[in-house]
Amino acid sequence: MYILKCIAQIGGLLGIALMGNKLTQVFDLHFPGSILGILFIFLLLEAKIISLEWVETGANLLIAELILFFIPSAVGVVQYKQLIITNGASFGFVIFLSTVTVMISTGLLAEFLNKIGKGR
Amino acid sequence: MLAGFSFIITILSYVGAKLLYRKKQSVFLSPLVICPFVLISLLLSFHVSLETYSAGTQWITDMLQPAIVAFAVPLYKYRALLKKYALEIALGVFGGSIIAIVSSVMYGKLFHLTPQLLDSLAPRSITTPIAMNISQTIGGLPAMTASFVIVTGIAGIVAGPFILKWLPIHHQVSKGMLLGMGAHGAGTAQAYEIGSIEGAIASLTMIVAGIITIMVAPILVPHLH
Repeated sequence: MYILKCIAQIGGLLGIALMGNKLTQVFDLHFPGSILGILFIFLLLEAKIISLEWVETGANLLIAELILFFIPSAVGVVQYKQLIITNGASFGFVIFLSTVTVMISTGLLAEFLNKIGKGR
Repeated sequence: MLAGFSFIITILSYVGAKLLYRKKQSVFLSPLVICPFVLISLLLSFHVSLETYSAGTQWITDMLQPAIVAFAVPLYKYRALLKKYALEIALGVFGGSIIAIVSSVMYGKLFHLTPQLLDSLAPRSITTPIAMNISQTIGGLPAMTASFVIVTGIAGIVAGPFILKWLPIHHQVSKGMLLGMGAHGAGTAQAYEIGSIEGAIASLTMIVAGIITIMVAPILVPHLH
């Protein structure tokens, strides 16, 4: 029963994602259809046209296994072997430094905004 | 035959890594680190081409799209929380997105990377499908961007716990924003390990960062060259 429910709900979410892709293509919007899909499901839930139970089980499963869906793309770096051999260390440094910069500044900015926010 | 085998091995390596990670929570056992490592080693040692591997695993990648749509569920469940912190999230994520783009390009210039690689690096702090899309728009290499996004995820889940430990960041919202902004989906998964509020904020941050970067990167990046 759980498996059937998951398959049906994931199928539904996939359908919405594909529909989003189609719409962004037709209207020549320069962002991925999945963003439209998020908005669409959110509005359907907010308007109570669908209930949370219709999508929740499948959605939770997809989110719990999110990392799996990145793995084949990560394996794809193998095609840039030469580029990575020559520039790999630079990529690593740049990404690591930039990620740490982003995390520290976002964290401090958020903490600061939360402190002022409390005074509202 | 080999394509089907690629699919099975990918799933098996993921399940195995997940079980290991549950036993011992070391970053190096995170499926995002260990699976690509194991799979690339297998491809190289058995001389399997990337085309063959991709043919068998394409639909795993395709599931990323419904998985992104699935984020509507936590967004809806935590909508009260999101409304409460709407301003903090909007401003914080806007700032974070700008810093992510500018610092990626600037550090990249410091290391003398080519303009095409700088363009590929610029959207690295957001979730893969959106990042690849932007990379294409601004003239980068989408496949390279995908790998930069993955490395960002790894860097983020390695650095995140230390930064949270050493910086005076106590609010659940700040923790979620830090992880979602710094390490997109990987950071969001880590935020859910801390708590469901942190996770919900991280997933919202990831989505908002994607939308902001779509709008800002094409305007900002050409000025940084």
